[in-house]
Amino acid sequence: MDRAAIAPERAAESRELAPLLSGIAAGDRSALSTLYQRTSAKLFGICTRLLPSEADAQDVLQDVYLTVWRKANLYDANKASPITWLAVMARNKAIDRLRARQLGIDDLDAAADVADESPSALEVIEQGQEHDRLAKCLDELEPNHGAMIRAAFLDGATYAELAERESVPLGTMKSWIRRGLQRLRGCLER
Amino acid sequence: MTGEPMSPEDRDLLAAEYALGALDGDDLARARSLAASHAGFRAEVERWTGRLSPLLDEVAPASPPDALWPKIEQRIGAQAAGPPQPGANVVQLRRRVGLWRGLAAGATALAASLALVLVTQPPRTVAPVQAAAPAPLVAMLGDESRDMKLVASFDPASGRLMVAAASDMPADPGHAHELWMIPADGKPRSLGTMPGPKMRAQLPMPIALQFREGVTLAVSVEPMGGSPTGLPTGPVIASGKLERA
Repeated sequence: MDRAAIAPERAAESRELAPLLSGIAAGDRSALSTLYQRTSAKLFGICTRLLPSEADAQDVLQDVYLTVWRKANLYDANKASPITWLAVMARNKAIDRLRARQLGIDDLDAAADVADESPSALEVIEQGQEHDRLAKCLDELEPNHGAMIRAAFLDGATYAELAERESVPLGTMKSWIRRGLQRLRGCLER
Repeated sequence: MTGEPMSPEDRDLLAAEYALGALDGDDLARARSLAASHAGFRAEVERWTGRLSPLLDEVAPASPPDALWPKIEQRIGAQAAGPPQPGANVVQLRRRVGLWRGLAAGATALAASLALVLVTQPPRTVAPVQAAAPAPLVAMLGDESRDMKLVASFDPASGRLMVAAASDMPADPGHAHELWMIPADGKPRSLGTMPGPKMRAQLPMPIALQFREGVTLAVSVEPMGGSPTGLPTGPVIASGKLERA
């Protein structure tokens, strides 16, 4: 995976944000402040989209930037653009919070610990993805499948919730999405 | 939580579903466990996350309240000043150990495996002049799913450390399980990679002297041959504190 794998639309933004992450890794607080100014609206948008509670969204956003402060050295420019790394971190932490809430876990410190092994602890590997291409591939799927995949990724809907929403059996929903994902990969790899 | 073996196709599909975020319940727990122990699975989740991540461009931005940044600044101020990175893993370890400690009570299976380890320890010959030999130390290393993974025992008199898996360790060809000691200064010291489910080691004196109550032992997943950096780089799959036996 080389730098060329990052989508061209990300390149200019990457050039601006990557030095900020290096600065943060070296302990530069003003770099974190600048990063927050440039990226917090995008990340907060992701948090509020996923979390019904505004307080939770604010909490998760704080957690994202605290994590960036502690772990900016783990950012790997060869794997993903800075904004994708940040957006995925926000999305994964928001999903973790959502699931913890759904389980009725109020001790969010413990939840955050459990969450260390869940998606927020994971990185993201970009392979030159662009939004237009992904959208086109999603449109090529059978009607519904693309919408279901969007709802799961962007709204945090689980299989069970999607099945209920669409009034289909759970098994049907699973097979729709699984088939959708397999075809999506095929389309993206063409 | 290793379950029955999965085919590579099923595993890739599970990685896709996990990255998508559609899983809950047992399937989610299973995916999390695989992500913690299986580097190939983790990489597949990362690739799937990459494939889906452009969707995040569809989300409308929203300005956070002005009061939020000062809160973040304040929380950063509360953390140690200066570059925090070298200790970051340790902070995480401490938090995990704290969680584990709260859960550690009362497992009889755990007590049984502990007894097994103590019995299989070679008998100590105590020099007559040594009035009171220091008590052996033990640690129960658990993971976040509350499963006990390993039992460690250390004999201060001989400097011998023994670690044994109490449950199935996830088989992970291509990776090593590395054992760490984290003393009061918070800096992890490698005790080497585990050759298998059991490890016996004669610890060098400088390390052995640091083995005391409250010291944390942890196992992380590392590349073959051990961590390239001298600090844990992969996920910590088990940790626990040394206590008097």
